[in-house]
Amino acid sequence: MFEPFTDIVPSFFGWLNQGPLTLTIFLHTVIILPMIWIYKQEKARLEKES
Amino acid sequence: MAKTSVWSDNRFWQRSAAWITGFAAVLLIWLTFDTAGQISMGTDADLQNKVTKRVPGPTVINYKITYEMSTKRGHEVPVIGEKEKFFGRDDWSEEEAGALLHLGKLGSQTKNCMNCHTLLGNGAYYAPDLTKAWLDPAWQNDGTMQAMTGKSTKEEAMAEFLQHPSTYPTHARMMPDLGITAEEAKGLVAFLKHMSSIDTNGFPRNFGKIQGAVNGK
Repeated sequence: MFEPFTDIVPSFFGWLNQGPLTLTIFLHTVIILPMIWIYKQEKARLEKES
Repeated sequence: MAKTSVWSDNRFWQRSAAWITGFAAVLLIWLTFDTAGQISMGTDADLQNKVTKRVPGPTVINYKITYEMSTKRGHEVPVIGEKEKFFGRDDWSEEEAGALLHLGKLGSQTKNCMNCHTLLGNGAYYAPDLTKAWLDPAWQNDGTMQAMTGKSTKEEAMAEFLQHPSTYPTHARMMPDLGITAEEAKGLVAFLKHMSSIDTNGFPRNFGKIQGAVNGK
């Protein structure tokens, strides 16, 4: 599941490139989770306005 | 409480898009600086002190370069070894080596090598990939190219071939005579040698195992 980090220059992007799981976690952090958060915010706002 | 659908609400999509675009912008800026740091060329001092750089300094032409399987990284990596003569010298200074590489790089651009060859992933796949051409077994002491060109070193054989490619038919797809001069050929070989020392994370994949893509025929 997690491979050892073997890139010559340790960097965030090297880490990101190691496999599909890290990419999934990354994309969920930057896209899916914020969208859920924004969704809840907007829903609360719409319900308050109606 | 009225039923509200957030999915059909414009503001939700606007906010989501703004959030994702903003993050992507930050990421791209970060990536730019991260890459710039990694591809900056090393120095002669780095080479002497055995400091590993992804792109070694130009004086790497003074050293023997091999390509060895790294079990840790799962692909072949360039290994800079002991001193090795390059056109009869192993004491090219940083300035001389840099000037030679520069000549070779400009030469590769003027002669448009990438029109047929691949360099570091850029270019065409009509002719062999040149990224690790220096390490191609065909140019080694027991390879075919030294015998064919009548030269006793890899660099001389390469330079001779570059100047008179039509004289030495190698592939079904023959390289055209581009009018490369002796000095340009020397620069081009230096450029190829330096390029082979660049750590490309194993690119081209399975170098030395694919017949046709790299080793001819």
